[in-house]
Amino acid sequence: MNEAKRHLVTAALIAGLLIAWEVTGQMKLVAGGTLPAISAILSRLVAEFPEYLPHLAETLKTASTGFVIGNVIAVAAACLFCLFPLTERLFRGINITVFTVPPIALAPVLVIAMDGNAARITLAALLVYFPTMTAALTGLQTADPRAIDLVHAYGGGRFKALWLVRIRTALPAVLSGFQIAAPAAVLGAILAEFGSGARWGLGSFLLGSLGRAEPDRLWGIGLTATAISALGYVAAALAAKWVTGENRALGLTVSQVRSEPERGRLHKAVMVVAALVFPFVIWQVLIWMSGLSPIIAKTPYGVFEYLFLGRGAESAQTRLLVALGETVPVTLLGMLVGLLFAFLLSLISFLSPTIMRAILPFALFTQTMPLVALTPLAVLIFGRGLTVTLVITTSVTFFAAFVVLAQGFAMIPKSAFDLVDAYGASVLQKLRLIAIPACGKWIFVAGRLALPKALLGVMIAEWLATGKGLGNLLNQSRGYLDYGMIWTVALVSILLSVALYQLAELAEKLVTGGRSKK
Amino acid sequence: MSISINRRRFLQSAAIGAAALSVPSGITRALAATPLTMQAAWINDAEFCGYFAALDEGYYTDAGLDLTYLPGGPDVIPESTLIAGRADLALTTPDTTIKAIVDQGAPFKIIGAQYQKNPIGIVSLAKAPIKSPEELKGKTLAVPPVNVISVEAMLEINGIDRSEVNIVPYAYDPTPLLKGEIDASLDFTTNVPYTIEQQGEEAYSFLLYDFGYKTYNDTVVVTEETLAEKRDLLVAWMRASRQGWNANFQDPAAYPPKFADTWFKGTGRTVENEIFFNEAQQPLIENPNGIFAMDDAGIDANIETLNRIGIKASKDMFDTSLLAEI
Repeated sequence: MNEAKRHLVTAALIAGLLIAWEVTGQMKLVAGGTLPAISAILSRLVAEFPEYLPHLAETLKTASTGFVIGNVIAVAAACLFCLFPLTERLFRGINITVFTVPPIALAPVLVIAMDGNAARITLAALLVYFPTMTAALTGLQTADPRAIDLVHAYGGGRFKALWLVRIRTALPAVLSGFQIAAPAAVLGAILAEFGSGARWGLGSFLLGSLGRAEPDRLWGIGLTATAISALGYVAAALAAKWVTGENRALGLTVSQVRSEPERGRLHKAVMVVAALVFPFVIWQVLIWMSGLSPIIAKTPYGVFEYLFLGRGAESAQTRLLVALGETVPVTLLGMLVGLLFAFLLSLISFLSPTIMRAILPFALFTQTMPLVALTPLAVLIFGRGLTVTLVITTSVTFFAAFVVLAQGFAMIPKSAFDLVDAYGASVLQKLRLIAIPACGKWIFVAGRLALPKALLGVMIAEWLATGKGLGNLLNQSRGYLDYGMIWTVALVSILLSVALYQLAELAEKLVTGGRSKK
Repeated sequence: MSISINRRRFLQSAAIGAAALSVPSGITRALAATPLTMQAAWINDAEFCGYFAALDEGYYTDAGLDLTYLPGGPDVIPESTLIAGRADLALTTPDTTIKAIVDQGAPFKIIGAQYQKNPIGIVSLAKAPIKSPEELKGKTLAVPPVNVISVEAMLEINGIDRSEVNIVPYAYDPTPLLKGEIDASLDFTTNVPYTIEQQGEEAYSFLLYDFGYKTYNDTVVVTEETLAEKRDLLVAWMRASRQGWNANFQDPAAYPPKFADTWFKGTGRTVENEIFFNEAQQPLIENPNGIFAMDDAGIDANIETLNRIGIKASKDMFDTSLLAEI
């Protein structure tokens, strides 16, 4: 009864929020009607649905192809890393790169280097790789050691153990990885369709619709994108439930740095260098294999030459430094704001799960709605300054951080509260004395997830609203046909993300004394 | 090389012979056609009506071409597609193409120009019109990042300091202009005024071309290698495309509805918008010497414009010899 009552309250809250949205839209309260009423969005969506079908089909095709390819590679990589732990260290640079790379910096480079269809599938596959790989690896590595010993006792090697024990125990973890990978594939497909001149797909439908100044159409496309992302998530969740017979909570596997048995400083240093160099080797090899002209496809040396040796090196450096000077401070600020927002949300979810359950669908919507569709709304409400950048950045960063922090809150033992309860502590005191300190290490994990996303958010805002920094430099370089700069911005934004990620990890280690490994 | 041309001509005449024997023409055409790929500059809209008309009317197949048409998009740099070998010819903006020739040593030749006058211009609302570059001072102008180069050039030509205009990114959506968040935007003047009228406002626009930025647009660009190896095919493409454009402009309202279920299906835009676009672009494309024409005066105007903004354009970047063969 109590449970049913809580659900009722949640439903009432959601209904209340929807009604507020409807009224706001009907009365054109926000930005002169730029936020349409939900009834207007839905009725138009229903009326135009036949027009959506070929686009939906294409997006689903691209996303699912990318999903399959990305997951096959991810699971294979996880097996490799599990069998030969050395390779995990070698690929560390690659893995972090794939996780942190801002897709909007990568898309133009992919479109230059590949034909449109391959570029679209590649972007979807790249966004799929990391969540599945980390989930699969965790699953493989946490297999029951006794079962593995048994295989070894019967003369089986590590391949046999992988096949007979590890893969089987990893299956639920892999499927939970799919839950994050499925919406990621949809997002990657739409993003790539938008830019790459695709004839069909929700991304190209969005691009064509932008020029009409009809927000209800744009919201309709956004809702459709959300719906298929949610469908992918639910399908993966159902598959997981069907296989494991239980419903696993969504969990983000955040840290893959396992402490290997240390083999001395030298060995460690060699591995770090190898992990740094390896991505560049792969880059070089890919360019060689593609056989593309050095005019459009820059190798690592090509970028170095462009930045330091070429005719325009000095001007390129200046432009890059100016852009970095605009982007980096805002990124750090954006990360802090995003984390703060995530912290507040997780606090709400801790204090009142009922309110949280009502907010959650709307929070999820912000993760799948293509931001370009919301730009007019954003600039009309927040202008084109720091505010709009922070709002867009927060919308990109908060969700992953929120999931982590909510997990952190949820893991506080109830007995801890019983104690202070006995002393008559207020809610605020409980937060101050127990919840916030217990969340300490989770804040760093959340920060590590939020930082690279913050860079993505800032670059999107620069591209769409403010016209500053790296995001703008990237797009202007396309107009100047400045291929060196396009590759440089892609490289620098990756390096920046990786550096920020490492910084967050370092901070975590310093504060927790390196004991926070899960 | 001459062998392949002879072979093509042979196949072409064979195809005509076969057609005379009333063999289904689609099959023989497919046999005769030589593949050629073109990279357009944007998603399917009226900007490319002439090519769609030529495709539908079979002008390319009649000319022995099996044309593959690639739409463009925000991340597609048409010139890159050429260098990567994924297309034989591309529609480009001449300033970027020439900059690529000068700065990167890209081996491009401009062999024709679709727009005799570049359709990009400054669009504002008629109730607060911006009628000249001078009036942009102190105003907020939204420009797609890709086109900032053109706007900066136009400002410089008109003696206006770049810092006097607040240039912000244009995110393909005219809503901020309609709501007065920005004062003007840079767009195709052939296109966005339609949307503005649909939203119950009146648009005012002027072309950058009319204020000294005298460039072509959608220049037909090929690599020197393609020019040497596929010259005949390129001439055939230009001839067939010209036919397509001529057919399209006989009545600019005629073709867009025909494309509603093919080329324009599902683009997110309306056929009425495409008709508006097609009508508006006719005077910017047509030339007494035929579609794609590049006369000395026009080429000189392009070179002069680009030189003024430090892009060292020169005559040898334009090759008018194919036009002469159409």
